[in-house]
Amino acid sequence: MRRLSELHVGEEGRVARLSHPGRAKKRLFALGLRPGARIKLLRRAPLGDPLEVQVGESFIALRRREAEHVLVDR
Amino acid sequence: MGCPRCDTAVALKKPPQERLLKVALLGNPNTGKTSLINALARSALKVGNWPGTTVERLEARFLHGGREIVLVDLPGAYSLFPTTPEEVITRDELLKDPPDVLLVVLDAGNLERSLPLALEATELGLPMVVALNLVDEAREKGYALEPRRLEAALGVPVVPTVASRGEGTMALLQALLRPRTPVPAVRYPPAVERAIRALEGEIAHPAARFIATALLAGEELPDFKAAREKAAELRRELESIGVDPFLEISGARYARARELFEEALLGHNPRPTLTEKLDRFVLHPVLGPVLFLLGMLLVFRFTFLLSAPWVDFIGEVQAVLAGWIAALPLPALLGSFFADALVAGVGTVLAFTPVLFFLYLAMGFLEASGFLARSAFIADRLMALAGLPGRAFIPMVLGFGCNVPAIYATRTLESFADRLRTGLAIPFMACSARLPVFTLFAAVFFPKNAATVVFALYLIGLLIGVLTAWLLGRVLGAEASSGAMELPPYRWPPMRVLWMQARVRTMNFVEGAGGPILIAMVLIWALLHLPPGPIENSLYARVATALAPLFAPLGFSDWRVVGALIPGFIAKEVVVGALGVSFLGAEPSAALGFLAGAGQLLGAFLTALKETLAALLALFGAPQLFTPSTAPSALQAALGRVLSPAAAFSYLVFVLLYTPCVATLAAIRQEFGSRWAAISVAYQLTVAYLVALLAYWAFPR
Repeated sequence: MRRLSELHVGEEGRVARLSHPGRAKKRLFALGLRPGARIKLLRRAPLGDPLEVQVGESFIALRRREAEHVLVDR
Repeated sequence: MGCPRCDTAVALKKPPQERLLKVALLGNPNTGKTSLINALARSALKVGNWPGTTVERLEARFLHGGREIVLVDLPGAYSLFPTTPEEVITRDELLKDPPDVLLVVLDAGNLERSLPLALEATELGLPMVVALNLVDEAREKGYALEPRRLEAALGVPVVPTVASRGEGTMALLQALLRPRTPVPAVRYPPAVERAIRALEGEIAHPAARFIATALLAGEELPDFKAAREKAAELRRELESIGVDPFLEISGARYARARELFEEALLGHNPRPTLTEKLDRFVLHPVLGPVLFLLGMLLVFRFTFLLSAPWVDFIGEVQAVLAGWIAALPLPALLGSFFADALVAGVGTVLAFTPVLFFLYLAMGFLEASGFLARSAFIADRLMALAGLPGRAFIPMVLGFGCNVPAIYATRTLESFADRLRTGLAIPFMACSARLPVFTLFAAVFFPKNAATVVFALYLIGLLIGVLTAWLLGRVLGAEASSGAMELPPYRWPPMRVLWMQARVRTMNFVEGAGGPILIAMVLIWALLHLPPGPIENSLYARVATALAPLFAPLGFSDWRVVGALIPGFIAKEVVVGALGVSFLGAEPSAALGFLAGAGQLLGAFLTALKETLAALLALFGAPQLFTPSTAPSALQAALGRVLSPAAAFSYLVFVLLYTPCVATLAAIRQEFGSRWAAISVAYQLTVAYLVALLAYWAFPR
């Protein structure tokens, strides 16, 4: 299991767990980042933050600090 | 008798066909709801706001099949367990004022993600119709879908549509007249299901099942006190056996959404979309920022180049009206009141409308096309230095053109704290109205380093603005807002809606900010003109003389120089005019005959039209960075006699930073309330005083 923030660009995996406290988790759930979802790191913004990921047909931007709490299975 | 209840009773006795049919549109953000309501409503579309908020509300009322239909667009929501203020509005509206028909809009190209909301909707106990929108995009992405399978599973009509081209709208209108109330489509794990059933009995509301799930999941709902206590008890019981009701309930919905999606899916042959191809350039680590800056420049120029001819036109109308008033047989003071207070006041308000209108067009386009979210992605790291989200970049940049539209542009930010912090930082951005003051003083005192001095002023403003946003974040203790957001697919927005939105938002400014601006103009006019006579005897001179010693530590204490700061509150460029009047005396408006004035107006209108066209062509040309001062040389010489260069620089710093102009202040009040407007005045006066003091003493001599 690895943190989403540590994936290489282009790497894919499956969301295992979100370890955020409270509301942040709820927001990511709503955007489709939930356990079992396939996720792919598409790119990092200039200066390395935020990240863009693809979940299903959605493209989601999230900050590195939030991505550290998304645990991904290969 | 005017008894409203009796009227309702009568209305209920009428056959149902004659009653108004209220339809609410519910869907994820970016599922083409705006295009759909535009296609369904055609010319009947109206733009307004949700009561007590700045969240926009689209509505349309029209006849179809003999029924009067009113369509209401609910704010985009991913879930009815809300995470944004918009989602709270949507949930509350559905529970407090439920529509006759709920029209759920699904994104066919992102069906699995759209379905959980539709499943929540089946628990509201409302007659429902589903629009399977964007089927064209779904095809391009390689999806083959069978809407009838969705229809069978949900038990409500499902109509495929392509809203942007108006496809499927007739079928959808027909379906709205025969909606079906769905059977709740999600089965929860037995323990949770039992708790929901137990709770449902306590709730007298058509949406009892949904409310039960929400209370059990720990959602905060405004009403249902008795049920809430029971829910807390049931939740504790579930948690004691290791069940998290929120996770189980949302998990069951997502699982059912996945099942439904797989049932409706005939096949998928993935193909890269236009969005993915474009994003390789737009979000490229090197190319992205370059395109982003060019894009910003284009928005900036679009807003200010296209509006400039109309701002000039309004100035011309003002001059002609003043000329006509001067031709009337009125006492001088009364004539001046009409021309310099009323006409000038209304003119000041109206002069902002072209700028705001073009800005709203540009912002509306950026937002609806998908570019705004990308610009936030690119600028996010940079803005994080000030503790702000990436979306704050555009309002900050616009501030250099004019603070007023920049304040309104903060509406694209998600949290109130972020909007406020950006809004209070914006007035420090050196808007174009400050430039005439800068160039006049630079020409007199720093002829060799004019550009450097002006650049330094811009930089000081920017630094203090960023510092203000950062500091305010600390003071408010605002948690850094979640940067998580969707980058929606690129789409061509419905232009008619953009046009209408821009018009309504501009009118909101006139209604909300017009009054305060006019009052300020009249007050300042009274200062300058009462009692009648030479300006040295006016209230203005007396107030300025009284204030002057306060400014001695900053290096300037001439009453004429200090006094000019007072009318500068109207717009900072007025400082130049006020200096001119108090050093050189006023120039009365020349009287103008009716025909001559009318001819002048027509000429000005044609010039504005011509210049707008020219501006469209010049949009991509090289920007003009520095315009030399056109102030009369007599004023320049007079200023040179009363100020030292250090004092002049300190004065410029003060002009840069002191109270926002009255229009900006009115905008701050409209967006953040009177308390924050007052705080911003006090804060800026303090900052301006301290920094100008510092500038005066640190100035190289």
